[in-house]
Amino acid sequence: MTKPNDIFSTILASTVHDMKNSLGMMLDALDSILSETPKTKTNPQYGIVQYESSRVNSSLMQLLAIYKIENNQLPFNPAYHSVYDFLEEQIMIHEPLLTAKGFSYSLDVEEEAEAAFDDVLISMVVSNIVGNAIRYAHSKILVSAEITDTLCITICDDGPGYPAPMLELVGDYMLGINQSTGSTGLGLFFAHQVANLHAHGGKTGCIDLKNGGPLGGGIFQIKIP
Amino acid sequence: MQESISTFQKPPIRYSQKSVLIIEDFAEFARSLRGMMTTMGSKKIHLVYNGEDAIQACKEKKYDIILSDYNLGDSKDGQQILEELHHFNLLKTNSVFIMITAENTTAMVMGALEYQPDSYLTKPFNGNLLKSRLDKAIIKKDLLAPTARLMRKKQWAEALDLAEQTAKENPKYRMACLRHKYQCLKELRRYDAALELTTQLVNERPIPWAMLGVGEIFYAKKELQRATDLFTDMTKEFPMALEGYDWLAKIQYQLGLVVEAQQTLSKAVDRSPKALKRQKLLGKIAEENEDIQTMSSAFRQAVKFGKNSAFASPDEFIKLTKSIGMQLKGTEDVDRKKLLNEAESVFNKLNKRFKEDPKIQFRSAIAHADFSSITDDKDNVEKYLKTANRLYDRIEEHLGSAESIEISESLKYLGQNELAECILEEAVEQYFDDPKFIQKASKLTTNKHLIENSKKANQYNNKAIHFFKNKDFNLAIDFFKKASEIAPNNVNINLNQVQALLKRSQANSSNKEADLKSAEQILAGITRLGPQDARFTRYSELNRLTQLMIQNL
Repeated sequence: MTKPNDIFSTILASTVHDMKNSLGMMLDALDSILSETPKTKTNPQYGIVQYESSRVNSSLMQLLAIYKIENNQLPFNPAYHSVYDFLEEQIMIHEPLLTAKGFSYSLDVEEEAEAAFDDVLISMVVSNIVGNAIRYAHSKILVSAEITDTLCITICDDGPGYPAPMLELVGDYMLGINQSTGSTGLGLFFAHQVANLHAHGGKTGCIDLKNGGPLGGGIFQIKIP
Repeated sequence: MQESISTFQKPPIRYSQKSVLIIEDFAEFARSLRGMMTTMGSKKIHLVYNGEDAIQACKEKKYDIILSDYNLGDSKDGQQILEELHHFNLLKTNSVFIMITAENTTAMVMGALEYQPDSYLTKPFNGNLLKSRLDKAIIKKDLLAPTARLMRKKQWAEALDLAEQTAKENPKYRMACLRHKYQCLKELRRYDAALELTTQLVNERPIPWAMLGVGEIFYAKKELQRATDLFTDMTKEFPMALEGYDWLAKIQYQLGLVVEAQQTLSKAVDRSPKALKRQKLLGKIAEENEDIQTMSSAFRQAVKFGKNSAFASPDEFIKLTKSIGMQLKGTEDVDRKKLLNEAESVFNKLNKRFKEDPKIQFRSAIAHADFSSITDDKDNVEKYLKTANRLYDRIEEHLGSAESIEISESLKYLGQNELAECILEEAVEQYFDDPKFIQKASKLTTNKHLIENSKKANQYNNKAIHFFKNKDFNLAIDFFKKASEIAPNNVNINLNQVQALLKRSQANSSNKEADLKSAEQILAGITRLGPQDARFTRYSELNRLTQLMIQNL
């Protein structure tokens, strides 16, 4: 018997799938247009188009994932990963945007450390936050990680920082939905849910928002036990 | 701390030297992938649009890099391709396989733990990300390949040392090395060390492969209760790691908990319906439990998902029609017309898929006749029996033991005593050393001598094996000959005798030539052994050895 939830899940999944295909085709078409124009004439705005589509894409993925978490359908697959490689890749995803904006980034992680986490889920969180940081930064972002018995990933930028109302929301991200500012709260809510899935040794993962730090902008932290 | 993108310190990978296979049915995206690889410097890029062509391409040449879309429309999916490449040994130990997915769907992410791709990439992604993934995967694979090569050659002790050394020199890949180490320890039957390694990991933090490892070792040490507890925990902790259910069901079945085993497998199948082997096992267990609904549904799915698989067999088709027949015979209210149509369509699919194999066509015709008798369709019973009789003479290979029972059961039921006895006689000659088979055969046959003779042949064979083990090759050969007189076509006895002859010719130089010639003659007499037969590998190996020894005379 098919339950109503299954039907919704199937429709949601296939719609997301379809929209993602459209996005993919759009980007491919853009790629081939770009490959026909000489490198020197390439408009850096391309990076922006790329980034905005990847934002749509990650919102769709998060939406689907949250639905699956609520229905216990999301596979949780923790394994050991190289933290350096993983974080480097989260920045690499936004390489076109970095190039477009002429930004630099720093990565401060011990090269050989491994930590256990679900790379697919944490990637959805971290790449989204990195993208946001690049979007709001003036010229610089810093991604760092500290590995003790907890993995703590920190993303800092030199932008204006998180708005005060957002900082007060820690723990209740659904309230972040604010149509006037365009913040849906989805990213933070999703980050919170994913952090919560990572439970180990009596501890549960969590996220934190602050302003200031080494670059003086926003600071996002996710802790994974 | 590293500044900006330009300061990568790793040695560059020479993509111009790497052969690349792209498996993608979507032409636009295939072109975009090719573009990304060309930008990295690749020159040798081959593009295929479906799984069948992918397997063919890999048979012709082993690729360094394979980029495969998971979803390939109507053809095999990416996971099926990966499993077949492993199964047919078409990957190099340092080949890198990247699975490209549209989204993170549950049924797929959890392919078998041992057949996982080196990396998953979710569409859309840019060339930088692809390059970053490939760089990392290639560096890791190259580093682990020497150990993997030793393991492939089953040199476990050497592989174990190398895995330890690799882990020491490359702490970054410690986990992967530990996993190799565990496999080596298990193969070397150093169970205590293997258990210590995995238990320690699990105590730090449960991860699926290590947990599976703990359970496997409990099982190997015959601590079934502890294994049961562990796999039960595993299915709770990692409900998507399906090996946990497989192991749990296997143990429950062995403990006689057949109903529980079925429930466990059902849970796994609900989570991932695509695994053929699991569906077939579920169907088989449901048949034992006389749960016809589950039996039908399991074999129905097996037929469905076997459509593009190299692992599909006639079994699931025949069993599906059998279960449909059982539903028709039952008292429950069923949609008869729908079931009848389904059965006919399954027979059609079976005959089409295996149209080159008279053995399967024969089996199908008998099953079809049996099925037609359920609906009292006398014309079709006669028609398919006629087909079966015609096909019987064209069969060139031995029928398997289970098939022989299935076919003679149907024939007896249809009143075809003569053909049934014929098949039983041949099967008993082949499989008298299988007690389960003999038990079933003795219930079917009316020929009392048949089973008695088989027991005698079995005794001679066992005696001969005893002498062989004690290196008394003369007596061994005498007794193999005696067994062979009763069962001249029995492949096992023939191969045993050949092996004894080869041994004697090595040990004793006087009869060398005569022994080798008789070995050659016996082997030449084995004409009905198909390459699919489990005994075929042994036959080929002995054939090769005999020829080699004759050349060196």
